Amino acid sequence: MPGITRYGYRDAISGFFEFPTENARRVLPRGFEPVEVHHGTSILAVTVFDFNESEVGEYGEVVYAVIVPPLVRDTRLPKSAFFPWQVATTTKAAREHAIGRWHLPHWMDDVKVDFIREKGKTTAKVEADGAPALELVVTDHSWQPVSHLYQSFQKDDSGTYLANILFEGDKSEHEEEAGKIVLHENAFNKDIQISEVFDTPFRELWMRNGCQLFDPLAQIEGK
Amino acid sequence: MEAAQKTSDDKPVFSEYDYSNFYYGAGDDPLNLLRPYADWYRESRPAGYYLYMEALETAPTTRVRVKDGKTGEVRDLLNLASYNYLGISYRPEVKKAAHDAIDHYGLGASGSPILSGTFDVHEQFQKELAAFKDKEAVVLFPTGYSANVGFISALMRSGDTIFLDQYSHASIVDGAILAKSKTVFFRHNNPLDLERKLTGVKGKKLVVVEGVYSMDGDICVLPEILEIAKRHGARILIDEAHSTFLFGPNGRGVAEHFGVDKEVDFHLGTFSKSLGGQGGFVAGSKELCDYVIAFARSRFFSCNLSPVLTAGLLAGLRIAQNEPQLRAKLWSNCAFLRRRFAEEGVDIGKSNSQVMPVMVNNDSRVLQVAEKIQQRGLFLNPVTYPAVPKHKSRLRISVSAAHTEQELEMAVQTIAGVLREEGVCRA
Repeated sequence: MPGITRYGYRDAISGFFEFPTENARRVLPRGFEPVEVHHGTSILAVTVFDFNESEVGEYGEVVYAVIVPPLVRDTRLPKSAFFPWQVATTTKAAREHAIGRWHLPHWMDDVKVDFIREKGKTTAKVEADGAPALELVVTDHSWQPVSHLYQSFQKDDSGTYLANILFEGDKSEHEEEAGKIVLHENAFNKDIQISEVFDTPFRELWMRNGCQLFDPLAQIEGK
Repeated sequence: MEAAQKTSDDKPVFSEYDYSNFYYGAGDDPLNLLRPYADWYRESRPAGYYLYMEALETAPTTRVRVKDGKTGEVRDLLNLASYNYLGISYRPEVKKAAHDAIDHYGLGASGSPILSGTFDVHEQFQKELAAFKDKEAVVLFPTGYSANVGFISALMRSGDTIFLDQYSHASIVDGAILAKSKTVFFRHNNPLDLERKLTGVKGKKLVVVEGVYSMDGDICVLPEILEIAKRHGARILIDEAHSTFLFGPNGRGVAEHFGVDKEVDFHLGTFSKSLGGQGGFVAGSKELCDYVIAFARSRFFSCNLSPVLTAGLLAGLRIAQNEPQLRAKLWSNCAFLRRRFAEEGVDIGKSNSQVMPVMVNNDSRVLQVAEKIQQRGLFLNPVTYPAVPKHKSRLRISVSAAHTEQELEMAVQTIAGVLREEGVCRA
C-alpha cells in the first residue's frame, strides 16, 4: 500500500501505569495535556517491541510515552493516543530511521533488549549504559486477532506531527493484572519519578505475530 | 486504505471501549466526541448499561417496583441499592412532616439561603442537628456534593496543599480542584503513605478522609491518620456521608466511634444516606460556620434546601436520635450478611460497614452478572470505572435496618448462585 510503513513483530508488550500528572507534564511539550485517570494521576505507557521485519531489519525497541487525548475528527476513534518522549532501539539503523521518518526523540545509544518467554508470561529486560534500566512483565489470557487504531503525536522544532498506526496481530488483554514494571535507578529513567509510579499496570497488553502499519506522518501544526 | 480512514463498519465496539475513551479528545470542535459516544452507547446500553438509571415506581423500601431499562417491563424486586440505611425516608412521621410543610410553605425555598431562602424550619433543623453532632453550629448545603465542594474551596487556596485518599469521593476531588490548591493523593487508608507525602511540605495543609468509603465500605483508620496529620501541622476534615447517624455511641459518626470527635477539625455529612433525603452539612464552631456561610460559593449561589424536605429531615433526625434500636438492627443485618457471604465464598473486599461491595473485578462481565442478578429478583447496581478503579468492578450493596433476615438470605443465595455460575466465586 503506497505510503504505509510496515513493521512486523514477534512480540509487542505494553503496560499502562499510573504516575503523577506533574511528572507527565514535565515530559510533555507545551500544547499537550496528559489524560488523567483521576485528578493528579496520569498514565505512563511502556511498550517493548521485538521487531522481526522492517526497512532496517530486525531490532528491539522500548518506548516511554504519556497517554494524551486522541485527535478526533471524521476518522475511526483511536483506542488511545500516545506522546512518546523517549524511544530506544537496539540498533543505530533503527534509531536513525525512526528519527528521520517519525521525528521521535531517542536515547542516542544502543540499548540491550531481551525477551524472556515463559508459559503464560513474557518479560522484557532492557539495559542501558550497560546496566539494568527496566523490566516489564505481562501475562496472557485469551488470544484473538485484532486491528486497532492508535495515534502517536510528536513535536519538535520543525512542528507538531501525528501518525495514525494500525496495530494488527493476535492480542491478549485481560483484567486480572498480574504484570508489573521494575524501573531501575539509571540515567535512562531520569525523567521518571520512580517512587511514584504504580508498579502494577491497570492495563496490560500483549500482541504477537503481527504488524504495525503507519500512515504517512501528518504535520498538524507548523513551528 | 489509510489506517485512520473511516468506513461504515468502524463504529466503536462496545467491548473495546468504555466511558474513559470518550472523555478526552483533541480537535477543533467540542462536539467531536458526541457521535462516537452515541455510536458506542447505542451498542452498550442493551449490552448492560441499561441497568443504570432504571426508574423506580415506588418508595425505596426493601421491595421496589422497577421499570426494566431494556424491556420496559415493571418488576417487583428486592431492593439492595438504595441508601436509606435506617429505613427512615418513608416512615409515617417523616411523610407527615413533609405533608404539613408543603401545606404551610409550598414547594421550595425560592431563594439563596443568604437572601430570602432561609425559613424557620431550616433554623430549627440546624439547631437540632448541631446539638446532635455536639457542635456549636451547623451550615446546611443543598447536596452532599455541594458541601464538600463548597467547604474545601471556601477554606483552601492556591499555594496550599490538600492531601486526599486515593479513593476520595468526586465531590472532595472537585473541591480540591476548585480550591486551586496542590493536590496530593495518598494510598487508600494508608497512614504510612500519608506520612511520606506530608513530610517536608510547608504552608497550609488539609488532610481529607471519609468515615466510610462509599465504594469499598471500609472504615477510615482515623486515629492513626489523625495522629500523623497533627504531627505534621495539617488540619483534618472527615466526610461522614456514609457514617453519620450510624457509627458511635450516639450515632454521630466514625469520629465518635473512635473517640476522637473533638480532635477532628472539620465534620461534613449528608442527609441522602442514613436519612434517605437530600442535602449536606458542615458542623463545627460558630466562627467556622460563619466563615463557610460567607465563602462557600456552592451554597451561596444555590437555592436553599426545600422547606418541605427540611421538615422531613428534621423528623428523620429525631427518629435517628430517639431510636438507637435502628442502628442495632442495621449492624445485626450487616453481621448476618457478612457471615453468610463468607460461608458462600463471596468476596466483599475489606468492607466493615453497611456498604458491601460484591467484587467481580471484571469491567465487562460485571454487567452480565448484574443483569442476571436483576433477572432473578434483586435490584442491585453495578459499579465500574470511573466510580471505582479500572478492573475493580463490583456490585454495591446498601444494607438497611429495614431488611429482614429472610430478605438478606434470599439476596445471598441469589448473588452466590449467579457468581458461581459465572465462575466469579468458588463452587
